[in-house]
Amino acid sequence: MADLLPQDAHPDAAKLQGMAHTEQYGYYMAENYAFRSEKGLTKRVVEQISYHKNEPEWMLKFRLRALEIAEKKGRPKWGPDLSHLNFDEIYFYIRPQDQKGTNSWDDVPEEVRETYRRLGIPEAEQKMLAGVGAQYESEMVYHNLKEEWEKKGVIFLDSDTGLQEHPELFKEHFATVIPPEDNYFAAVNSAVWSGGSFVYVPAGVEIDVPLQAYFLINAQSMGQFERTLIIGEPGSKFHYIEGCTAPTYNSDSFHSGVIEIIVKERANVRYSTIQNWSHNVYNLVTQRAIVHRRASMGWLDGNLGSKVTMKYPSTYLVGEGAHGEVLSIAFATDGQHQDAGAKVIHAAPNTTSSVVSKSISKGTGRSSYRGLVQIHEGATNARSNVECDALLLDEFAKTDTYPYIEINEKTAHVGHEATVSKLNDEQIFYLMSRGLPADAAMALIVRGFLDPVAKELPLEYAVELNRLIELEMEGSVG
Amino acid sequence: MALLKDNAAITEAAVEALVARFDEPGWLAEERRAALRSYQATPFPTNRDEVWRYTQLERFAIDGLDLVDGPRDASVADRIGMRIEDSDAEAAMVVKNGAVVYRVGEVPGRGAADGRGVVFTDLRTALRDHEPLVREHLYGVVNATMSKAAALDAALWTNGTFLYVPRDVEVALPLGTFTTADRGGLSAGRTLIVVDRNAKVTFVDEYTSDALPGRLAHHAATEIVLKDGAKLRYVSLQNWSREVVQHNKIRARLARDARLESLTVSLGGDAARAEVEVRLEGPGAESEMLGLYFADEGQHYNQYTVQHHATDHAMSDLLFKGALRDASTAVYSGVIVVDPGAQKTDAYQTNRNLLLDAASEAVSIPQLEIQANDVRCSHGSTTGPVPDDQRFYLMSRGLRPEVAEHVLVTGFLYEVMSRVTLPKVAEYVERVVQAKLGVPGVKEKL
Repeated sequence: MADLLPQDAHPDAAKLQGMAHTEQYGYYMAENYAFRSEKGLTKRVVEQISYHKNEPEWMLKFRLRALEIAEKKGRPKWGPDLSHLNFDEIYFYIRPQDQKGTNSWDDVPEEVRETYRRLGIPEAEQKMLAGVGAQYESEMVYHNLKEEWEKKGVIFLDSDTGLQEHPELFKEHFATVIPPEDNYFAAVNSAVWSGGSFVYVPAGVEIDVPLQAYFLINAQSMGQFERTLIIGEPGSKFHYIEGCTAPTYNSDSFHSGVIEIIVKERANVRYSTIQNWSHNVYNLVTQRAIVHRRASMGWLDGNLGSKVTMKYPSTYLVGEGAHGEVLSIAFATDGQHQDAGAKVIHAAPNTTSSVVSKSISKGTGRSSYRGLVQIHEGATNARSNVECDALLLDEFAKTDTYPYIEINEKTAHVGHEATVSKLNDEQIFYLMSRGLPADAAMALIVRGFLDPVAKELPLEYAVELNRLIELEMEGSVG
Repeated sequence: MALLKDNAAITEAAVEALVARFDEPGWLAEERRAALRSYQATPFPTNRDEVWRYTQLERFAIDGLDLVDGPRDASVADRIGMRIEDSDAEAAMVVKNGAVVYRVGEVPGRGAADGRGVVFTDLRTALRDHEPLVREHLYGVVNATMSKAAALDAALWTNGTFLYVPRDVEVALPLGTFTTADRGGLSAGRTLIVVDRNAKVTFVDEYTSDALPGRLAHHAATEIVLKDGAKLRYVSLQNWSREVVQHNKIRARLARDARLESLTVSLGGDAARAEVEVRLEGPGAESEMLGLYFADEGQHYNQYTVQHHATDHAMSDLLFKGALRDASTAVYSGVIVVDPGAQKTDAYQTNRNLLLDAASEAVSIPQLEIQANDVRCSHGSTTGPVPDDQRFYLMSRGLRPEVAEHVLVTGFLYEVMSRVTLPKVAEYVERVVQAKLGVPGVKEKL
């Protein structure tokens, strides 16, 4: 791909010609940054990041320790092929502008604003969100929380500002859910993290509209390492949504976030994310929630973009009666490997969990469900159910299921079921006999397959999902 | 993390001694030498290896054990004598620490010189009387490159079963081999079954012993070749005494329209690992794979299965059920692999575990790797206790709680046995299960 023109660069660009949302994929803007680290992951880069952020001493130490752990651990030996992910070619930190994040849309630089305008963010904020954050490259460029929530003590900031403005609260919870020792990519993130959201909802506060953050990679060979920390105090209730996207370049980018969520007693937290990274982003994310007594955690994880995704939202049910829920959808088309799943650890009595995974593979795409259900001894009457359905759209598509089930408790009830199927010819024939063209019929069936998950999505995401499916299905016949 | 140590007795000299002792043909000696090199080049598995992740490796240790080179005497234990007496088998053989100590029954045409008759004998005799047949198939299904344990077996097996059923021959009644031991050490046996076109046979491999004076680590490898239209019912029944650990790799290759009905039972031993793999190579091939395990008193079982669909229009259906009590552990891990182009595959996989106490642990990993779209594949796994409502129902009918539990556990496992048309084997398995449950009046010995 020598031609770097954005409209031509996207593999679906041709299909998009003449469609109303052509500009959706043309959001790539000139690279314009205030500071860019040298390529590669080194001690010097880590020190530079910390210096530029003017961080407290303990954070620098934490970063350097994490770097050591990463070097010692090495990459995982299982899962998708990561051999083409070369750290020496990656910029681990890019600061897009010289001022800090702002809460006034007008202060956001023009090219960034233009990009987000195309994603429809300012309108969404006005209409249906409690707060919005936007991360461009390594830094949050915009954060705003509606006044009514601010008055109730809700904090919604980028993590860097969170660390500066609420050092005690931040330090108390940071890296307690996912320590750098956890896995290689969590260690890398801990060393070079930048941006992400810091959300704190005080006891008893219920936010009835979602908080939302958007993550965007614009530069080539960029590594984005957001670090999100979400704390739901007892009895709080809220929904956090994250969207991720990047334009298409011909060199690979790397996104490795760490999301830590603490759901205290009787709190109810939902975390939804749909990633639509361009097809050359390695998306290797660690997401985990600790769920206390009678609290409830819900994950909605959608994986549509990226080259390789490894993401297994995990839920640790540590308090009696805690509940965890994961809805996962994956769509792998040519050249993509979606290795997604869920982990649920039942470590307390009367805990319940449910995982529903729906995946679709098309062309040479490969979607894998990788999951774990663990019931610890003493977690009496735990119940867990996992359902995985895979749909294969054509003869070269691939799907895998790797569910691990470890039961150490007699009173546990655990079930797992998976099915694999292809598009049903009879259904397509029926729809075509009613006048639908073949690709529309297929898209309809695919949407029906995803419906149990899609209906849980916020409206604008459901619309986006449907549009993406139509786009992917177009031209799949004949 | 436990690390396994090598056994100092596994050397070139040991292989040469075996070759010399049995005056083995040159090709076999070469195979053994190559297998030993493979063994030496392969590291021992660790818990970082995915297929050994949940295995209590130290229980499979082989260091410090002497290589077993024959039984103390040729007597046949009562438990085997009674099993043979009670069986409906056409012919049976007892192999004790590598030596054939008993044969009974005749198979029609057994040992016919032209190789056209049914051959049911031990591998040593087969090497003498039917060398071309053995040479053609030995190591063709399970070979030294597959794993450290497979290499060990390929290098050091001493004896085992050879069964060949020629074209169009149907052997009506079952055939069986009892593999047993009267002392501890490190031993390796092998079974080679070749069923030619449109032939049909039932074979039972049973592993059992009285209490042994020392610890025995037994390695087994079972190779099954089913040619076009061949049908085999194969049972591997492990009921070793508690001093024994067993590693068994059972692998079958199925040609067009072949059908394998396999049953793998684990009841005895201290720890046992069964790897059961089928490779469906011809359209119309069918494989039914049943498994049953009941671990008590701290036993540790591993069952690893592979349903490999290398061709289109084949079917495989797997059901493994197990019960656990007394701080026992069991791992079921299985994968359905559908190769690109293997359209119209039907593949199913079910694992169900019953946990009878809190200290036991069951791990279940049913996996799918699908690379063709026009397939029907599903898997399911459940783990749970004896259902309270069922127990309540039986108690409301006047059964005491422990009797209700016995009935329900037996019933749970019976689903597997009900699919095996071998009444004597089913009866025996049920008896061992009941003895393990402590049902009054049932002696495991039988």
